[in-house]
Amino acid sequence: MMIAAYGLSKHFPIRGAVLAKTTLKAVDHADLKIRENQIVGLVGESGSGKSTLGRCLVRLLEPTEGEILFRIPDAELAAYEAALGQEDEAKAEAIARKYSLVTRGGSDLRLVRREMNVVFQDPYSSLNPRLRLADIISEPMLSTHYCTRAEADARSLQLLREVGLPEFFEDRYPHELSGGQRQRVAVARAISTNPKLLILDEPTSALDVSVQAQILNLLRGLRDKYGISMLLITHNIAVVAYLAEHVYVMYAGKIMEWGDRAQVLRSPEHPYTKALMSAVPIIGTKVNRTILRGDPPNLVTPPVACRFHPRCPVAFDICGWTADEVVDDLGYVLTGKYFSTFGDRLVLDAPDTKTIVIQGTADAAKVQQVLEAEREESRSLFSVKSVAAANGGVVLSLHDPVDPLMYLLPDGRHAKCLLFRPAGPAATPAGPTT
Amino acid sequence: MPDALLVRDLRVHFHTRRGVYKALNGVNLLLRRGEVLGIAGESGSGKSTLGLAVMSLLPRNAALPTGQVILDRMNLVNLQVEYAEQVGDAFKAKRNERVLKRVNRAMEPIRGLRLSMVFQEPMTSLNPVLQVGFQVAEAVYVHAPGLLARRTLARAKATPDDVRALIGILRAQGPDEAALRAFAKQRHLEGLEEQALAVWRRTDIQTSRKEKTILGLCQQPLQPLEDKVLTQIADAGFIPFQYRATPVFRKLVRRSLLKEGYRKAEELLTAMGIPHAERVVKMYPHELSGGMRQRVVIAIALANSPEIVIMDEPTSAVDVTVQAQILDLVRQIRTSVHASFIVISHDLAVLAEVCDRIAIMYAGRIVEVSPTDAILAKPLHPYTQLLITSIPGLEGKEIEGIKGDVPDMRSPPSGCSFHPRCPFAFERCKKEVPPDYAVGEGQTVACFLYAEGKTP
Repeated sequence: MMIAAYGLSKHFPIRGAVLAKTTLKAVDHADLKIRENQIVGLVGESGSGKSTLGRCLVRLLEPTEGEILFRIPDAELAAYEAALGQEDEAKAEAIARKYSLVTRGGSDLRLVRREMNVVFQDPYSSLNPRLRLADIISEPMLSTHYCTRAEADARSLQLLREVGLPEFFEDRYPHELSGGQRQRVAVARAISTNPKLLILDEPTSALDVSVQAQILNLLRGLRDKYGISMLLITHNIAVVAYLAEHVYVMYAGKIMEWGDRAQVLRSPEHPYTKALMSAVPIIGTKVNRTILRGDPPNLVTPPVACRFHPRCPVAFDICGWTADEVVDDLGYVLTGKYFSTFGDRLVLDAPDTKTIVIQGTADAAKVQQVLEAEREESRSLFSVKSVAAANGGVVLSLHDPVDPLMYLLPDGRHAKCLLFRPAGPAATPAGPTT
Repeated sequence: MPDALLVRDLRVHFHTRRGVYKALNGVNLLLRRGEVLGIAGESGSGKSTLGLAVMSLLPRNAALPTGQVILDRMNLVNLQVEYAEQVGDAFKAKRNERVLKRVNRAMEPIRGLRLSMVFQEPMTSLNPVLQVGFQVAEAVYVHAPGLLARRTLARAKATPDDVRALIGILRAQGPDEAALRAFAKQRHLEGLEEQALAVWRRTDIQTSRKEKTILGLCQQPLQPLEDKVLTQIADAGFIPFQYRATPVFRKLVRRSLLKEGYRKAEELLTAMGIPHAERVVKMYPHELSGGMRQRVVIAIALANSPEIVIMDEPTSAVDVTVQAQILDLVRQIRTSVHASFIVISHDLAVLAEVCDRIAIMYAGRIVEVSPTDAILAKPLHPYTQLLITSIPGLEGKEIEGIKGDVPDMRSPPSGCSFHPRCPFAFERCKKEVPPDYAVGEGQTVACFLYAEGKTP
């Protein structure tokens, strides 16, 4: 295995909230694996934590917790996973020590840096404007003591050719190049130390489509020639579909689904992936859109349990609804849609996260009717476990939320959704009619 | 279909210290009434410059050597072209500033009222220190204070009988604007019909609730002074000088009209699919997500029911799931708003979703204009063909890209500017600029492959 991450988290502290210990949970318990000679795609919307995860993998950012194993033989990895499964921490740690990236530091880490490198998004800001191209490309070779300066100079010429630029470009400066050419230089720099792993952070999003195609083909050619593993981080699903063999889908700091490219992209199973894929406009196809409501959540106080449930078109009772969310939806339904039934005397209140009190009506049966009629529209209403009349009002109590785990599906992919919980909810609710 | 906007031989040259950037090199474009026209192109192709030129919002270093932008028999760029013709190569940005001052004055009754624009970054086009409701209200307050005054007065004057009759019409004929307008005019309650209509068009509440809300649109008494002032503003259509000059009145008028503006903003935001609009109008831009901000910006653009709305990359700053929401919104509003749209984007797939026709720009010229289905099924211009094959699909089909780079517009290639990258280029392409050839069903292409008597 080229690299394997387990339970990787990155929580950024919020400035001005020292005592409260508020953090932004950019990445939360993410597992990710890249095999040798494999291109893995990591897709997600902005703010989903995909770049943070990528940077944590090569320790450009210090992960808050989690384990990263680099170039671990498959046999040892299997032993490590077995130890984790049996919760034998001592044994797992013993295996991990040799391969862990997290515990390395100083010159030890510097040596590993030869073997992995990053291509950044914006070729206009990732190249030092005051260096010649030859110096830009030699820099990683010199800083990791990969070779002598003379060798580095010779090799930078060779690398320029490799990425499809003429040799006489060595004396030019970045401002003389177009966006596509700059990104080629960034690729040349990234492969200069013969790395085994490349992290490509939105390598083509600053480029036009006609140039993007050239860069994608270049990357694919390099993989075939040198067997470099790549992690392709992008919001552009078509780019992942073109290059990657495995795909991870991230949402709000969590990995939602991963598996074979063809499976995940062509027949997504996770409700979020489904919505994401249906939102991608593809020329010449008219798809039936699932238009998600609302926006991605605030990751300082992320939604309880499944982070996708507030927007999920098939969310059901145990997906993580809190009383506040239900009060929002129910209040709107009761005073808006069912205005003629209840008038505007209703007052909704949530004394704790699992109870709702409605003042102004004592008709539990009617409320129950509304809940049943409006469930498909406002999914949060599924979470109401019981409705009872009490003290001249109506008291609703909610189901306990369940945290979804990464479940293995029969076709080999993994999805983090309670719909796929083994022996899950007896009757999984039907999908929405879209 | 009559034309909404006509652009003829428009050229824009930016004079910079490093030379003259020829951003637009003779653009011809026709926008039909009620249509959604897409403009696609790579960065640097001049698509945003075209949008800005139509709005007369170009910076001072932009010279317009030739061109016409015709809206309703008015040439919007005549001042700038006149000046550029007069000075020729001796163009000075400093001097141009004076011309732009006159342009701005001339554009006052047009910009924001008949022509409006949605800019690329919703984050930067909203003012961070003002409530979003204020920013929507301001657009109406500045351009149509009379409308706001009429709305307030109508609610003051209307009797329960009036609103009941209004509900009667809505029940019988649905949201029929013409009938409502005629009714309001007959009873001298102009401004009431759009308020009733906004309530009636809501989809999130039951009919009984809508009717109750509309019933509330009457007998909202005004102070005698306010009544007098608003009546004068409503009759004049603008704020009379005496009210602008005296601080006391200025304050009164402003408070009263902006309050009404917030009501209008609430209606507009609800129509843009923003839930809880009554709360959102009091928020500041940073409290809203990218998608919400974009909706607010679109609401501002639509606030004065313009004839033409130009959307410059309306979805490039948002995520794909939000993009789907915005595109859905654009599809909805085009049926409820009587406007023509120009949508500018680098993403052909986005345009294919919402546009009737698509124009492809390359190096400051429109190289092809075709109905959406035709351009995707049978692209004519070699650039369009290569562009479409460069877009990766979900099936992982092989993509090629186009060799070379976008030309440097300081010294664009001779003849057809695409010839250095074009696989079909021949001698003539290097020497002559290809004119527009009409091909097939409403397709126009600027390429010698389609010259008379030739079949590619």
